[in-house]
Amino acid sequence: MLKVDNINVYYGAIHALKGISFEVNEGEIVALIGANGAGKSTTLKTVSGIMHPRTGKITFLDEDITHTDGYKLPAKGLAQVPEGRRIFLQMTVMENLEMGAFVQKKPPQEDFENVFTHFPRLKERRSQIAGTLSGGEQQMLAMGRALMSHPKLLMLDEPSMGLAPILVEEIFSIIQEFHAAGTTILLVEQNAEMALQIADRAYVLESGAIALSGTGAELAQSDAIKKAYLGG
Amino acid sequence: MIGLISNLISGVSLGSVYAIIALGYTMVYGIAKMLNFAHGDVIMVGAYICFCGINYLSLPPVVAVLLAIIACTALGIVIEGLAYKPLRSAPNLAVLITAIGVSYFLQNSALLIWKSDPKVFPSIIKLEPIHCFDGQLTIGGVTLVTVLCCIVVMVCLTLFISRSKTGKAMRAVSEDKVAAQLMGINVNRTISVTFAIGSGLAAVAGVLLCSAYPTLIPTTGAMPGIKAFTAAVFGGIGSIPGAMLGGILLGVIEIFAKAYISTQFSDAIVFAVLIVVLLIKPTGILGKKISEKV
Ligand SMILES: Nc1ncnc2c1ncn2[C@@H]1O[C@H](COP(=O)(O)OP(=O)(O)OP(=O)(O)O)[C@@H](O)[C@H]1O
Ligand SMILES: [Mg+2]
Repeated sequence: MLKVDNINVYYGAIHALKGISFEVNEGEIVALIGANGAGKSTTLKTVSGIMHPRTGKITFLDEDITHTDGYKLPAKGLAQVPEGRRIFLQMTVMENLEMGAFVQKKPPQEDFENVFTHFPRLKERRSQIAGTLSGGEQQMLAMGRALMSHPKLLMLDEPSMGLAPILVEEIFSIIQEFHAAGTTILLVEQNAEMALQIADRAYVLESGAIALSGTGAELAQSDAIKKAYLGG
Repeated sequence: MIGLISNLISGVSLGSVYAIIALGYTMVYGIAKMLNFAHGDVIMVGAYICFCGINYLSLPPVVAVLLAIIACTALGIVIEGLAYKPLRSAPNLAVLITAIGVSYFLQNSALLIWKSDPKVFPSIIKLEPIHCFDGQLTIGGVTLVTVLCCIVVMVCLTLFISRSKTGKAMRAVSEDKVAAQLMGINVNRTISVTFAIGSGLAAVAGVLLCSAYPTLIPTTGAMPGIKAFTAAVFGGIGSIPGAMLGGILLGVIEIFAKAYISTQFSDAIVFAVLIVVLLIKPTGILGKKISEKV
């Protein structure tokens, strides 16, 4: 479904991604883990067209999207829940969800209901200004907003960031619900343990390059991973 | 008492022109996060085009005004595309200097095309004045039309921004360009549309301004441009109701200062009020700042 082939990405002179290649197949949950600054967010930004690689190739559903303008990608079935959520703080919950469905003419009522079944808490707060939601609710809104575009591939950048453990569990089980409903998932996480539990396959990024890859179970058992990310 | 009401009406009318100009500043600022200092000169271009349409092409006034609006809308899109778009990721200062450059470019082009001798703007608003209180108070036709235009613009723009898809895209882009792009919004196109609307409104403001003060020279737009910019900051830059309120208050303060304090010092008084307001409320009257949750 998504194929990233040997991409090199730069921030000015900083070489942030050094020849990364990976693949996400239809129906999978793929995790991308790695330390702070490893290049996880940069990878997602490059796939969603916010940045473009200097060399290399990105293919999504057999189409070359390496240099496609980012705004054209949601219509092709790609959605991202960005790092730091980036919901529209001055808009209401409903308006944020509408923005998520921007590529459709007019989103049907069922789409909103669908989001509310995953996140009942958003329903109570539908006309609240998003900036006044709690951090956890904002994360739910960011995920609900991405769901509104009916993505084929949903990319999530650290959805558990800053959440209480109980809420982290909830968010992970919702990611699995999305997956069960037929969405392919590319998940970036600091919380390697939980990410590896739900991932079919995972890649480990280290200073801009892929250091390890394997099935979620394999990596969870690997000594290197245990030492570096799971605390021994 | 009648004098007071009469001054108030003049103030609201002048303020309405400022408000329409201020809308252009505030929308562009809100969305592109830049101060388009050339905005005032688009007003002047609009007025000249309307003038030419009537005097040289003998167009009916309504058609001439429409022509001015269309030409300024196009001018806004061209200015944005040629001068500002290439600087999208440049430092703010570079964009600001460019805007000042565009402003001089427009003024000097006007000087080249229309020469420096003042043109007398034809009176195109033929509405009869209204007399109230047994004829003690007269409200001019231009005054009425100006205030009416301002109300119509305000209502239409508010509806457009809050209801239409493009309007919502504009709000999304003004909050977060990256997130807007992730929603599938074409950020460049949205910025272009914003310039188009702002510049079209500038043409309307130019016609209204020159109907009230009929002398047209290449620097006609400069002072009202600066005042309207002040009005936008006064009301809270980035806020549409703020631009409206700021514009009208500024007009009223200016006329009152002229009438009751001093004609020479009226501009100084206007800016002094601005400074006081910004000291008390740095974001302007209706400006708000939402802090981000981490
Ligand atoms: N806008 C930027 N300008 C310059 N360098 C940047 C920029 N954004 C990221 N970088 C650099 O690129 C590298 C990768 O950053 P990235 O944000 O992808 O890391 P990450 O793996 O997502 O880290 P984290 O887990 O902390 O979110 C880092 O060294 C970072 O300093
Ligand atoms: Mg990151």
